[in-house]
Amino acid sequence: MPSDRIELIAPTGQAWEAVIRMVLGGIADRLDLGFDQLDDLQLAVERLLAEGDPENPVTLSFEIHEKGVRTRIGPLRDAALAEALQGPEPPPGELTLPRILSTVVDSYGVEEAKDGKLVVRLEKLVQTQ
Amino acid sequence: MSSVNLATENDRELLRRYHEHGDAAAREALVERHLPLVRSLARRYAGRGESLEDIEQVGAIGLIKAIDRYELSREVALTTYATPNVVGEIKRHFRDKGWAIRVPRALQELNGKMGPTIERLTAKLGRSPSIAEIAAEFETTTEQVLEALEAGSAYAPLSLSAPPAGEDELDPMETIGTEDVEYERTDDRTSLEPALAALPEREREILRMRFEEGLTQTQIAERVGISQMHVSRLIRRSLERMRSQLG
Repeated sequence: MPSDRIELIAPTGQAWEAVIRMVLGGIADRLDLGFDQLDDLQLAVERLLAEGDPENPVTLSFEIHEKGVRTRIGPLRDAALAEALQGPEPPPGELTLPRILSTVVDSYGVEEAKDGKLVVRLEKLVQTQ
Repeated sequence: MSSVNLATENDRELLRRYHEHGDAAAREALVERHLPLVRSLARRYAGRGESLEDIEQVGAIGLIKAIDRYELSREVALTTYATPNVVGEIKRHFRDKGWAIRVPRALQELNGKMGPTIERLTAKLGRSPSIAEIAAEFETTTEQVLEALEAGSAYAPLSLSAPPAGEDELDPMETIGTEDVEYERTDDRTSLEPALAALPEREREILRMRFEEGLTQTQIAERVGISQMHVSRLIRRSLERMRSQLG
């Protein structure tokens, strides 16, 4: 099945997060994700949006395929974030963005990093019941 | 006493006059003096469907209560002591009024039933229900369910930070005015660790269960004895608080 794609360009900031959560809700419905999976995905996206540049909009793309949804968010603001996301797993007991992401999505990665900016990819798979 | 110029007395002296001698004029002077603080705090809650004047009046009640409850043995400024009282009074007002922003009644009602229904479906299905399953339970559309879930953030939003009725918890706003520990800012914004220690014990424990033990929200809800939706809110709120502390 070819993937469907939704793309949003949104201002960074909490005022628009409700719109983004609603879009994710619609996608979760299409994929039959459980309520907790939707909540996890929303949390991952919210955490990354917090790394956006407040002065510039962020682009979110959602590729919906039969196994789940691939989300791309960027540009996010600093290279330090790329290092953290690409670095080794944080030690147990340390609460970091990588640990949060690895808990709430199936996988994540930094897809593009140039001019100090990056795009983060999140994969959320439909859990087989 | 009435010949004394109350405007020149310091707070402590006025409090002493009021508490030790029942000087009502001293109490009035304290209220007048600290009304700008009330107005400043009330402005934070403007635009939620209540006039600023009404919010200020509610806040003023909090100020009066703080003055009345103040103990002279306290080594704390009245403004420090009054701030959480004023904020608490305003929050209680909004909590009693219900929704912080205008949400259609049907969505409010649907949202109110959402938590228990999700709990029941989770127990019945042995997993978290899908949006469609929740909609089927309410005999409504998935769009309505999503709107009702989202409307939940209009009730007790993060900035208002009111917990769901009946679920007691510490509130970030109630820490305003107390002697907060200064946490060092860190350039490594991906690490929330330094701010973790500032959270209430229960929230730290919930984060630990979620991100260290890897428990699901449903499992945490069972263990802690609160709803899954409340676990979700607490996790979000805790992470947000930690981030804002790190700046």
